[in-house]
Parts: sequence; C-alpha cells; structure tokens
Amino acid sequence: MITRRQFSLGAAGLAGLSALALPGRSLAARNDQLNILCWEGYNSDDVLNPFRERHSGATVRAESGTSDPEMINRLRAGGLGQWDLINVNQAWARGVMFKEQLIKPLNKERFLPYFEKMSPEFANPPYAMAFSPDGTDLMGMPQRYGAFNFVVNTDKISLDMAEDQGWNLFLDEGLKGRYGVLTYDNWNVMHLCMTAGFDPFQPVSEENVGKYTEVAKQIMGNARLMTDDLVAMNTALINGEVDCYFTGGVFSCSGARYDGMTNIRGITPRSGPVDGKGGIVWVEITSAVNNPDPSSLAEDFLEYVQEPEIAKLVASGGGTLNPITQMGNPEVMALFDEDQLDAMQVDTLAEELARCIEFEEVPSYDQLLAIYVEARRG
Amino acid sequence: MERLERRMGLLAALPIGLLLMVSFIMPMVVIAGFAIMPQKVFELAHMPDFSSFAVIWEQGYYKSLLRSLGLAFLTTAILFVVCWPLAYGMAKVFGRFTLVITVLVVLLLFVSENIRLFGWNLTLMKGGLIEGHLRAWTGLSFETPLYTWPAIVFGMCYVYFPFMLFPLAQGIALVPDDARLAAMDMGAGPWRILFEIEMPLAAPGIVVGCLLTFVLSAGAVAEAKLLGGRSVVVLTDDVESAFTYAQNWPLGSALSLMLIVIVALIALVPISRIDLDAIMGRRK
Repeated sequence: MITRRQFSLGAAGLAGLSALALPGRSLAARNDQLNILCWEGYNSDDVLNPFRERHSGATVRAESGTSDPEMINRLRAGGLGQWDLINVNQAWARGVMFKEQLIKPLNKERFLPYFEKMSPEFANPPYAMAFSPDGTDLMGMPQRYGAFNFVVNTDKISLDMAEDQGWNLFLDEGLKGRYGVLTYDNWNVMHLCMTAGFDPFQPVSEENVGKYTEVAKQIMGNARLMTDDLVAMNTALINGEVDCYFTGGVFSCSGARYDGMTNIRGITPRSGPVDGKGGIVWVEITSAVNNPDPSSLAEDFLEYVQEPEIAKLVASGGGTLNPITQMGNPEVMALFDEDQLDAMQVDTLAEELARCIEFEEVPSYDQLLAIYVEARRG
Repeated sequence: MERLERRMGLLAALPIGLLLMVSFIMPMVVIAGFAIMPQKVFELAHMPDFSSFAVIWEQGYYKSLLRSLGLAFLTTAILFVVCWPLAYGMAKVFGRFTLVITVLVVLLLFVSENIRLFGWNLTLMKGGLIEGHLRAWTGLSFETPLYTWPAIVFGMCYVYFPFMLFPLAQGIALVPDDARLAAMDMGAGPWRILFEIEMPLAAPGIVVGCLLTFVLSAGAVAEAKLLGGRSVVVLTDDVESAFTYAQNWPLGSALSLMLIVIVALIALVPISRIDLDAIMGRRK
C-alpha cells in the first residue's frame, strides 16, 4: 500500500524528472513553432489565421516592432534562438543583419521562381537588394515597398508645386512653423542630406557636413511639431496644424487617404542631387533568422505570403496600405478595389519609383546622426 | 526557538530575495557595464574606455538632462499646490465622498497613458474639441497650446496627479486634529498652522508624493512626444534614440545610468529623513 508521504515523494520526483526533460522536448518541438518579428501587417490575425489552420498543431506568433533597429536589437539581445523570421527594410537587411550573420540565406530553388511574377522593377533581374552584396545568396523575399520622402496637404500646397520644389520647399522661410517632422531618425538623416544637396549613400565631404549642419538646424528649428507617431502627424495635417511634413510617404499617409482624405499625398521630388533623383524607396525584406534551432515553418510561411489572397492582406494590414511586389501579377491586382489602389497612389507609383534611389547603408551615418540629434535638441 | 524561527524566515525569504536581486540588480549591472564600454559595441567583453561620458558632454546631452529635471521639478511643485487642498478635503472634510473621489481618480489609471494623452491631443488641437467648437459656434479662434513646453507640463500633471494626491491625503490624515485646534486656541493664524503644524506633521506623505511624482516625471517620454511635439527633447527620448537609431548601446546605457544616479541621489536625501513606517500606520 502506498502512503501519502510516499505518493508525495513520487510525485515530486516525477515533476523533477519532467522538468529535466523539458529542454529536449522543446528542441524537438521547434518545428511546431513559428515566431515572426515584423512591421505591422504580418502580425494581423487575417494574415496569420489561415496559416494557423493549415498547421493546426503549431504555435504561430508574430510581434511587430516600432523601427528596424529596434527589431534588430531584439535579435542582438539574445533573441536569435527565439525568432524564426524577421522583416526589415533593405538597407538594414543587407547592410547590418546579413553582414553580422543575424540572418541566413534562403533556399534559392524554392524562392527564385516567385520573382518571375513580381512587378517588373523586382522581377527582371530579380531584385538585387534581396541578395547578398556579392549576389550569390538570397537573403530574403521583398514584399511591401514605397517611396518615402515627404507628405503634403494638397489643399494648401499644390501637388505640382510640391513635386517641383522638392526638398527646397522646407528651406522656404514662408513655411516656418507650418510643417512637421516625422522623427524616423535614420530617414530624417537621409532626407536632410538630400535637402542639403548631396547623396546620403556616399561618404560625406567636410564641405557637405557644413551644409548638412546648416540645413538640419533650419529644418528642425522651424518645425511646428516633431513626432514619431504617424497618426498624430496625420491628425495635425488634417486639422490644419501643419501644411506638410518632412519624412513620409504612402506608408505614413495611406491610412488617412483610405479614410477619404485624398488631399493628403506622399510626394516624390521631380529632381534631386543623386543623378537627378531626389527620392528614396524602401523595400521590406523578410528573412530567415539565423536561429541555431530553426523551424521548418519559417520558409513555409515565406512561401505562404506569396499567395495572391495573403499578399493582398499583407498590403492592407496594420492600418496602412502599401504597394507589394506581387502586384506584377494581374491576379493580385484584381483583388484590390479602387479606393485601396488610390490610397496607395498606384496611379503615379511607377513614375515615383523612377525618381527614387534605393535605401542603402549611409557610410557617414554616425557623424550625420550626431549632428541631427544635436539640431533636434536645439 | 526564536533563533530557529528567524533562520527559517530567512530561508523562506531566500527564493524571492534571489528573484528580486536578479530582476532588479542584474539589469542595473548590465547597464552600468555597457555604459563604460567603447562606442557601438554589443557585448561586454571589451576594454572599458568611458568614451560615452565624453560624448554626453561634447554633444550636449546634458541639456536634455537639465530639461528633464527642470520639467520634473515644475510638475512636482504644481501638483503639490493643486493636490494639497483636495487631499486635505479627502483626509479631513469629505467623509464618505472621499471614496467617490478615490474611485474616480483610480478609474483614470485603468486607461492607458498614451490613449489618455492622445485624447488631450484631440481636445486641444486646432479644429479639436475646444477650438473646433468655439470656431463653429462663435467664429472665434485661438492658437492651440500644443507643441510647447507648458503642454508637456500639463500632460505630466494630468498623468501623475494620483501619485501626488493619495500619498498627500495619507500624510494629512496623520495630522491630529487636536494639534491644529490647540494651535488655533493659542492664536496661530491659518498660514502659520499650515506651515508649522500641518506640513511638518504630514511630511512623510509630502515626501512620498513628491518623490513618486518627481521620479516618474523625470523618466517620462510620452507627454513630450504626444503633447509637446518634441518641442523639448527630454533625456528619455535621447536614450531611446541611442539604443535604436544610433545602435549605440554604450551611449544609451551611459545616459540611462546618468539619469538613474542623479534621480537616486535627489531621492535618497529626503527618503533618509522620513519614517516610512509612520505613513503606513506601523509606528512602533
């Protein structure tokens, strides 16, 4: 007969043994887990639930970050073993994560065919920034993208004038106290370079540092408001607190446009200092994290988001609407209604892309960021 | 027997003590470690060079620190003046109505700080609840107070109001009515009673309320972002930028450490002078 004391001892022993067995079990269970670190959109239930249904035994979790570097910090701070996929912009994917082996190459045989159905800018040849600098490894899959420069209320500043003036618009003393700055610091730095008249993606000369400092002080000093919250910024624009904002584009204003405020518009300058171009385009790259204990679901999910219905959900998820590379496929285009396409400024998309250069690593970033931070502090 | 009990007590407290050590002390140690590392490294296995402190001085980060501390002082002072009469009423006058006030103030805390601040943003902005209605009804308009430093102080006063009110009410409850009446009988005026009887006797509550408000305000960031439109860049904003966009963990850690040390020093002096047991009603 077992006494209560013996039973308790046995139960405690079993509990101890099962605790010891946990690590082994969790290793074996990695293929039943998928953890995604992403910009908002991929983490919506609309996108995730059909995948969860297909893999009913798996735990699929997605968490959105507030900026590219914030998400990369999570990998650096011991998150390599926790995450399976990460979704950041092209410069951070190639310039930082691939270089530091935070991400690993994808299976080219499995994913290269998807490039054929993408928009021409990404299909022929397959989008170069999705590959390692030497062009051999496929670092990730491009999906959402958009020109990101500045945003105006076209009732106050005409589209033609904004495109024509470009970055000089913000140097006009008449605009003092009538514009905002969306403080996405790294973008602000690149846009200040453009405004100062030089290429942010080339090492900066002493002369240009001087111009940049002057421009940074003027633009930060004359701004009516600065915020990193795009909803607060759009609200200020709609209510007439400001007429335009420095740093922004379809990503930041499409939500307001879809709500009927089509007078709010992302602008790409007609001209600029880099071979006549003054705009910059971001392209999100979704990559497999270099997890020492990888989940096979990571590549399955990347393949899943290429499907037309799911790609459309990604484009319209998370309160913003953004063009996607899969729009080269007529089947995908047919899924969007007119209002959604208008919110994404699809009418001028190709034209705006032609006026943009790629978002790359900024070689003098540390120096320029320090000047920017000081100017912002006033 | 008593010794055994004490030893058992210590033993029983050990797990939670260790947990608190790991969760409170370890992050501080890591921050202090990164603060002395060379710029832009992501591990602690480097030769310390203390360069972040030079950067803080050279690039004027101390300005943000002074602004954060200045705003926190101002918020604390305003809240003290605003909360004293209400706290007095709650402790001495309102009776059962005190419960209603307590519930109303506590209800505020159930809503996220960011949502409450965004509500003020919509209320105060051009075309918002106040200016929009005024313009529609009377045709008059005014420049909104948003995106200025007073808007930040207003936001902090609004958010940290309960943290001053409740300790003050607790402190005032410690003042015996007899002491006040005796002072009145001996001819003391209301101001003299306030400064020489009530405030000294309510000191534990005043210190706790002021400390809570000051420490929270010094570390606040949402008010400056949402209501202040970053018209004032506070130190916590700089910490966030250093860790994220600058990818400079040592600089972010040094800035955090500087704020923690200065706020701790400011807080330690009054804490060492009050009897926390008194305000908790456990005076032996």
